[in-house]
Amino acid sequence: MNLPALPSGSDGVSRRAALKQLALACGLALSASSLSALAASFSAPTDFSRSKKTLLTAKQLELVRALGDIIIPATDTPGAVAAGVHDFINHYTAYCASSAEQQQLLATLARIESAAHDEFKTAFTALTNAQQLQLLNAMEQAQNGFSQADRKGLKQLKALVVFGYYTSEPGATQELAYLAIPGGYKGNFKLKEIGRAWALNF
Amino acid sequence: MEKNIYIIKTQEVFDAIVVGSGIAGGWAAKELTEKGLKTLLVERGRPVEHRKDYIGEGLKAWQMPFRGSVEKALVDEQHYVQKKCYAFNDATKHFFGNDKDFPYSTPKDKPFDWIRGNQLGGKSLLWHRQSYRWSDHDFNSNARDGEGVDWPIRYKDIEQWYDKVELHAGISGSKENLEILPDSQFLPPFEMNPVEKEMKARIEKKWSTRKLIIGRTAHLSVPASHHLAQGRLQCQARNECQKGCSFGAYFSTQSSTLPSALATNNLSIATNSIVHSVIYDPKTNRATGVRVIDAETLETREYFAKVIFLCASTLGTTQIMLNSVSESFPTGIANSSGALGHYLMDHLYGAGAMGRVEGFEEDYYSGRRPIGLIMPRFRDYNEKNPNFKRGYFYMAGAQRASWEQLGTGDGFGAEFKANIRQPGPWYFNLSGSGEMLPRYENQVSLHPTLKDKWGMPQLHIECSFSDNDWKMMEDIADTAANMLEAIGLKDVKKDIRAKRDWHPGLSIHEMGTARMGKDPKTSVLNGWNQAHDVPNLFVTDGACMTSSASQNPSLTYMALTARAADYAVQQLKLGKI
Repeated sequence: MNLPALPSGSDGVSRRAALKQLALACGLALSASSLSALAASFSAPTDFSRSKKTLLTAKQLELVRALGDIIIPATDTPGAVAAGVHDFINHYTAYCASSAEQQQLLATLARIESAAHDEFKTAFTALTNAQQLQLLNAMEQAQNGFSQADRKGLKQLKALVVFGYYTSEPGATQELAYLAIPGGYKGNFKLKEIGRAWALNF
Repeated sequence: MEKNIYIIKTQEVFDAIVVGSGIAGGWAAKELTEKGLKTLLVERGRPVEHRKDYIGEGLKAWQMPFRGSVEKALVDEQHYVQKKCYAFNDATKHFFGNDKDFPYSTPKDKPFDWIRGNQLGGKSLLWHRQSYRWSDHDFNSNARDGEGVDWPIRYKDIEQWYDKVELHAGISGSKENLEILPDSQFLPPFEMNPVEKEMKARIEKKWSTRKLIIGRTAHLSVPASHHLAQGRLQCQARNECQKGCSFGAYFSTQSSTLPSALATNNLSIATNSIVHSVIYDPKTNRATGVRVIDAETLETREYFAKVIFLCASTLGTTQIMLNSVSESFPTGIANSSGALGHYLMDHLYGAGAMGRVEGFEEDYYSGRRPIGLIMPRFRDYNEKNPNFKRGYFYMAGAQRASWEQLGTGDGFGAEFKANIRQPGPWYFNLSGSGEMLPRYENQVSLHPTLKDKWGMPQLHIECSFSDNDWKMMEDIADTAANMLEAIGLKDVKKDIRAKRDWHPGLSIHEMGTARMGKDPKTSVLNGWNQAHDVPNLFVTDGACMTSSASQNPSLTYMALTARAADYAVQQLKLGKI
């Protein structure tokens, strides 16, 4: 699964197109040469040269992928797998999580795997969907031998999936509604006009 | 912007030097150049040009590798203080100071979070833009209860200057005719949503002393023709503000004051120039210029002028003044009173309550409004205070729960996903902004040994909340929770975040370390923001504030700066400074 596309800022041509679009939106009359000058002097944020460290082994990544699919499956819109959430979590936790958070995530994955073996004598990913749900529901409710600590670990994992999905392009723009430039604030807007929630904040 | 406005070395004696290019410095540059003064704007950070250098603008969450989060290693090494600011993220981090380069010290038991924006435009690129006039209730407060010293000015002294800066900056809001919060020269207000209108009706029905009104903000809700002429356009409600706004829809140095100053051809700018100290001539008792360290080469140089405006941020300005020592002023320039560095204030944030509003399932909003609601001060104004001095106002707003809240719920699969697709219940919150008393012991000084990489003595900041501050925060949370219960909200929860992780400084309204006052024995500046001791030295940023009121202070810095600039030019022409 590919990571979401890099922004247009990494590419002079599309940056110029984006600037032109913005200039038009601003009602600015920018000449072709001034646009070139703007694009040329626009320094891409250093963020995009970041390397691609990972936290998870191939097996752990496969488990996170399966869990993402269970938590946010494909429906009439793409789910967590198509949004590359597992790859996002793999990189995000490597760069942005504390070592305690990383250990918590790895412990949660190990706990899910060991519970699958204890209960069904097989790997989690080999279970039927019903068995997987049975196990995860018990874990989330801290029942059938699962503790409050197990519930907390699962909640952390779900939070990562939710964050990864609803900030992804499909999650923000297909599952939810997104307006890059709303054109102002309307306080009397009716939900039925879009029928779903806004992808807020970005 | 033409290249030749940037200078590094020069022998020119300017009419004026302005140190710092944020909200106050931008206004000083604009007013002084428009009055014909050849002015040098000195900025410690790098140039940031409008539109061109807003490198995070327009980035979507999915276009950032960590969706707006910043890598832990980078945060731990370089942004361990700045990360606490609500606006710090991957698309804005280049507009914050680098904590590694800008160290300061505090006692272990008195943490202070100093949020900084070291670049051309300063924190005018980062502020939250709420813009409120102060009233006579605020200018009278110290005289009323004897805390601090009396302000040397009253509302009538500053009223016309509020008018002037508001018209240029563009402040949206609703006319309310409240004595406690005088109206500004308004652009049309942003709209309230239906739940906010309902909360307003319920609260105002129960309490004649409590109004719920739309906040006032430096955004062009509907630009006037002179804003369009500045190259500024209507706010698009993108919530991109702190990334920089190419629409110029909010007030910043880049969008508003700098273009005006540049248009005069009287402005020069020296960036990457860290002011070490003010140069003082004891023979004339005048400041003659500033000593500067080059941010990149560490070379020193000097700039000279007839009048000096310090607008380097409250603590930045005070650091420069404390470091400007001479035989005449062994403890810092213009510090014969000994008040310099003392009476540091911030606002009391981090206390409030929220609750769930039933109904309104069909109602929603469109766009990311740049301002919430406020409830102007009532506690020590038209209601009595139970057990503390001064008062507070509330920030407020109603929103529907989004994936950020709904995603914490139980469940899996299509049902879990479908539940998040729909906006959740409405929540309404009240969050306080309280007045912090001016106290001598809340102070900054130069550290005796620690220096930064440019050789500047580090600031040592000792500041903590007082008993009065904590009592007020308790009242902010209790009163909010009681009010929400009384108007029928469910699941009301109150919180005082300041008990856990909100330290002084984090409200980013630091004020007061070179205060104004009538008496040169107890204050640094007179009623014109002019140093009592050094007549051609002016301080118009937050350092000048004598009390903290409860309102956001930036609009008052703008008005005081415009007023002081006008006075300085008059005095210059009269040959008095």
